[in-house]
Amino acid sequence: MAEPTSIAMAQGSSCWGCFQSLIDIHLNLATVLPMLDIKYWQCVADFKLKDLEGYPDKSITVGLYEGVARTEEDIHLLKTMREKCEILIAFGSCSCFGGIPCLANFSTLEECLDVKFRNNKTVKDGEVPTENLPKIAPVVVPNSTIVDFEIYLPGCPPTSKLILTALTALLTGKEIELAPHTVCHYCDRERKETPLTEILRPFEGIADPDRCLLEQGYICVGSATWGLCEGQCVNHGATCRGCFGPPPPITTDQGAAAISMFGSMAPLEPEYLAEKVLDPLGCFWRFTYPTSHLGGIRIKREEAKTK
Amino acid sequence: MTTVEKTEVQTKKEWEPQIVAFCCNWCSYAGADLAGTSRIQYPPNARIIRVNCTGRISPEFILASLEMGADGVLISGCHPGDCHYSSGNLKLRARLAIMKMALEQAGVHPDRVRLQWASASEAQIFADGVTTIVEQVKALGPLRSEWK
Ligand code: SF4
Ligand code: SF4
Ligand code: SF4
Ligand code: FES
Repeated sequence: MAEPTSIAMAQGSSCWGCFQSLIDIHLNLATVLPMLDIKYWQCVADFKLKDLEGYPDKSITVGLYEGVARTEEDIHLLKTMREKCEILIAFGSCSCFGGIPCLANFSTLEECLDVKFRNNKTVKDGEVPTENLPKIAPVVVPNSTIVDFEIYLPGCPPTSKLILTALTALLTGKEIELAPHTVCHYCDRERKETPLTEILRPFEGIADPDRCLLEQGYICVGSATWGLCEGQCVNHGATCRGCFGPPPPITTDQGAAAISMFGSMAPLEPEYLAEKVLDPLGCFWRFTYPTSHLGGIRIKREEAKTK
Repeated sequence: MTTVEKTEVQTKKEWEPQIVAFCCNWCSYAGADLAGTSRIQYPPNARIIRVNCTGRISPEFILASLEMGADGVLISGCHPGDCHYSSGNLKLRARLAIMKMALEQAGVHPDRVRLQWASASEAQIFADGVTTIVEQVKALGPLRSEWK
């Protein structure tokens, strides 16, 4: 058998869901693990940050970075990963586009600290902890503005199947081939190209299991989303919330594309739309706010404050 | 003169907003043309971009304009019912309704974007619309001023 490939796996600010999805390849781990020489993996292998810092530059073949870089410690970890790894992978939608942790960019840092610490409903006289903790950045920026990545593997989380496909290709020196289709391509529901007559919240009415959810009035952003998940939500009765980000080239504005499609399907009165679509930012940019135009404006604004 | 000094001198001049105006080929673009040939006076701040129908305008166009430095965006199309492609303008109107809410959520004043209907013969309505958006945006100041 070929020499195992050296790999480092790092977690920034995130939920561990992507690494969980990696572990969820279950029995296939038996095939993949012997091919790996793990050099760093917080919580799983007993290496410390100083071990990672001690490796020679570019001495690790593959690096996976999960999450965003919100704290000074995250930023340092991300840069260290870049120094030590030859191929650095933005692992998951947090790492590719900002993802769920970047919903924090809807609010200022002070507002976040209020909710989390000062006025937290489950504590009395809450205060912001300071001891032994890294500093928090005023606004989260996309990881790609801090370091360059060779590969982006989106998904919240990327499916186990996708991870297995990508890792096996990478470890055997083959090219990672990913189909460029959107979620609609994999959706089994029938589309009749009829415009929406009403907008429904997910809990309203009973959806026809065989028809396009968007056409029935449920906001589905499948048409603006990369279908690497093969449409797992829409084929199980739930709308697509866009967790794989925009299709290739993945730098486009997913929310803008989703609203474009939505307007084409729902040419309704503006007053009605304003009443029914309650949180457009969270609805159309849930996973990609920092890499979008509006998110970019927001970041510039927060950064201007600190200058 | 260094660049820093240059910008200082420039900011002392009265600030003029930069407006991107998307005009439908079948109505407002001709309306804008008529405004010109009729010598109707209106502010010179708008840079007109012709689109085949307002239905062609993706939110991406508007958001990219703002992110790239425009202070306001004007969209001028056929009256509802008059769209050359029957309902492109209604589609754009729906997109814009959602986008304006998103703009507000992201901390950008929704008055920076204006939608108007102006036919090929309504040169005055077109010109008045440009005046309105320029005044609206002037009252708000440069987009960057909202960042403080
Ligand atoms: S992409 Fe999703 S699953 Fe992965 S770390 Fe971020 S929030 Fe968790
Ligand atoms: S919009 Fe959603 S429900 Fe409709 S076809 Fe696309 S993925 Fe399926
Ligand atoms: S259907 Fe949409 S929300 Fe569900 S996993 Fe796929 S991309 Fe994510
Ligand atoms: S053709 Fe003018 S708005 Fe559609």
